[in-house]
Amino acid sequence: MNQLIEGLSALASIEVVLCLLLGLGLGLLVGMFPGITATMAVALASGFTLTLDPVPGLCVLLTIYVAANFGDRVPSILINTPGTPASIATTLDGYPMAKQGKAGLALTMSAFVTAGGVLLSMVIFIAAAVPIATIARDYFRSPELFALVVFGLTVMIGIASNSVLKGLIAGVIGLLIGSVGLYSATGDQRFTFGISELSGSEGVSFLAVIIGLFGVTELFDQMLTHSKSQIKPISALGRWWPNKAEFRSSLKPFAVSSGVGLVAGLVPAAGGDIAGLIGWDRVRRMSKHPKSFGKGNLEGVVAADTASSATLGGSLTTTMALGIPGDSVMAVMIGSMLIWGLNPGPQLFTTRPDLVVTMAAIMIIAVVLSLIASIVRMKGMVKLLDTPNHYLWPTILLFCMLGTYATTNSIFTVVTMLVFGVVGVVLKRVGIPAGPVVLGLLLGPIAEENLARTLVLQQGRGFFEVWSPIALAFLALAAISLIVPMLRRRKGSTLEQKVADELAQAETSALDSYNEKQENTK
Amino acid sequence: MRKKSLITGVAGLAALALAVSGCTPVAEEGGEFPENDIRLIIQADPGGGSDLSSRALATELEGQLGVSVIPENMPGASGAIAMEYVGEQAADGYTIGFAPVEVAMLNTTQNANVLPENYTFIGQIMLAPGVITVAADSPYETLEDLIAAGKDEALTVANSGAGSIWEAAALGINKEAGTQFTPVAYDGGATAVSAAASGEADAAVSGGGEAIAQGDAVRILGVMHDERLEQISDVPTFQEAIGADIQFGGWGGIYTTKDIPEDVRATLEEAVATSVESDSYKEFQENAGNLVVYKDSEEFTAFVNEQFELYKELLG
Repeated sequence: MNQLIEGLSALASIEVVLCLLLGLGLGLLVGMFPGITATMAVALASGFTLTLDPVPGLCVLLTIYVAANFGDRVPSILINTPGTPASIATTLDGYPMAKQGKAGLALTMSAFVTAGGVLLSMVIFIAAAVPIATIARDYFRSPELFALVVFGLTVMIGIASNSVLKGLIAGVIGLLIGSVGLYSATGDQRFTFGISELSGSEGVSFLAVIIGLFGVTELFDQMLTHSKSQIKPISALGRWWPNKAEFRSSLKPFAVSSGVGLVAGLVPAAGGDIAGLIGWDRVRRMSKHPKSFGKGNLEGVVAADTASSATLGGSLTTTMALGIPGDSVMAVMIGSMLIWGLNPGPQLFTTRPDLVVTMAAIMIIAVVLSLIASIVRMKGMVKLLDTPNHYLWPTILLFCMLGTYATTNSIFTVVTMLVFGVVGVVLKRVGIPAGPVVLGLLLGPIAEENLARTLVLQQGRGFFEVWSPIALAFLALAAISLIVPMLRRRKGSTLEQKVADELAQAETSALDSYNEKQENTK
Repeated sequence: MRKKSLITGVAGLAALALAVSGCTPVAEEGGEFPENDIRLIIQADPGGGSDLSSRALATELEGQLGVSVIPENMPGASGAIAMEYVGEQAADGYTIGFAPVEVAMLNTTQNANVLPENYTFIGQIMLAPGVITVAADSPYETLEDLIAAGKDEALTVANSGAGSIWEAAALGINKEAGTQFTPVAYDGGATAVSAAASGEADAAVSGGGEAIAQGDAVRILGVMHDERLEQISDVPTFQEAIGADIQFGGWGGIYTTKDIPEDVRATLEEAVATSVESDSYKEFQENAGNLVVYKDSEEFTAFVNEQFELYKELLG
């Protein structure tokens, strides 16, 4: 009880309030600018927070972390460009919703479920950070991580709902791009063609790829098709508040996705980007109308945002309880905390329990503030997009270029982004989805590293000594995920399926016309 | 309206940047170094150990040199991009950089154009000595136990990544002590130590700070330095425990382009030597779990060359 009071009273000062507001403003802003990630913002801010005391410093850094998770959904929904990698999956249904004139609804709902996801995940952190993180460490070792990631890769099939083949091709493209650069198991260079910019452990810049494939591709595509068809300006936002039916239908995706997010958060190296894609796919598979996903389904937005935001508490748990960074932002946080003489790890919880309370409180306050700011300010932010296309397009492109340049101070990254913008247009024209490319790029290297480690550890040991039941179960699940949809597709022409599909369509079109009516009466 | 002011703001900033860069005085012959701002190239992302060490030093250097020392992050290719860049700059001392231990390794591991003779080494500024760690419930109670077992069977030893200093350290132990440790690459030092803590790997080699952070989950068996570490004073050095002089550490220093004028080198050396002694810099490194180990230009150059040969042998 004493620790609780101590931890909370540390927050009662003007300095802390100012730091919270500073972090909030910065976080929302960097979230909205494509290219500038929460990781970068926290890293740059840590240069300044070093001179502060730990509590105000943590306020700035943690609030940026939280607020960026709210801000980054805005460009995902409005211009199909993820503000940070965590909102990749938001583009899948968010942007189609915006194109249908339902951006307002998508933005509001996104803010609500993001808040819900973070708050829910903080429960884990508060309730049982040390035991849960220890279980995660002791039972999710290299073989299990490999199996888990392979299971995650099966999502590829899901994202490509139209054609299994095209989804697989996209995934393989992603895996290939992921293999460029320094191979972490041996330190060898692969597919770098002597270009030193490609020879790092990241190889092709992930950020440049996603901004290219999502944002710049959409931009180029609009420019190319501009003369043929007048695209509906997205500033037609529609209504803001979800109705009761929409709230109710969001409950199930929220529940499923928060589970996905919590687990992904606890697993080191898996962040909001991976969780969002997996959460979206799980919900789509469980839905009665999987075909409506990716075409502007509100449940898709709910699924993606809940999963990616529910990773925050898990990441914080792994980081603070084990000292292993739960995601890239947390890797930077550890650096800052060391400078304050705070060593994240099991010791932190025994020596400074008050600090743990303080951090949880900062996170929760940051969520509430971000939610309020998002709801209040959203209409103003969105007005920027009222600009005519011939101003808007160059501005977006300029921001994308500035953002990617800032990641490495190298023009090479900007060129990479533009190249992937063109590649994206080509892929789009031949019907290969961008989602699986990103997933392959994200998960391929993780799967490979863990497999390589497992094989080294395997030497001189029995098969079942290394491959635990958990690992084997995940591998089995992965196999099932691949086979079942194929079988189902075979049966796709049965009468039952047809009726279900038609019903789904009728329902969506009814909903659409209802929405339009509502708008007209306004 | 909002947008207009935004554009004016951006335009204003751009104009300001142009004006500032246009106004920077050009160095004239015979003037006292330094007359212009100095750039400090950091080979890693903002927020990491190298970055924070460099920034802490840059603040002190500014006071010593009387000009701005501007840290610039140039991450990529494990630091090779920044190091090749520093090697190619004009030999005037206005572009300096942070050189971590990788400066002695990248030519061997990645075939990068990073050779000791490409640079002038100004001074070493820090050292993070390595330690070897096992799980708290490991059968190996002492360093002698672990080394003895390592001679009989191929134990797995986790490290922070292939081609890292800690992989080299595990190989270095093999060479000096006759063990047959198999290095296993993980993603970062903390991850490697926790792999040892969970029993996935038999042991881990890492920086001292990363091992200490794991608290009771691990047992630290030996320190790869010539003296014990203050925070874990009950842990023996390798020399004490097994009588082999095994020293590995993540060191860092300041370097610049080769063939800079002698007076420029002397000025920079003096500034670095004084900055390293400052209280705020010392406190910073101690909090981060590192030692402030200073070597002057001559010692540091000899040391880098020695390390270069060592890693060529171990990793080549």
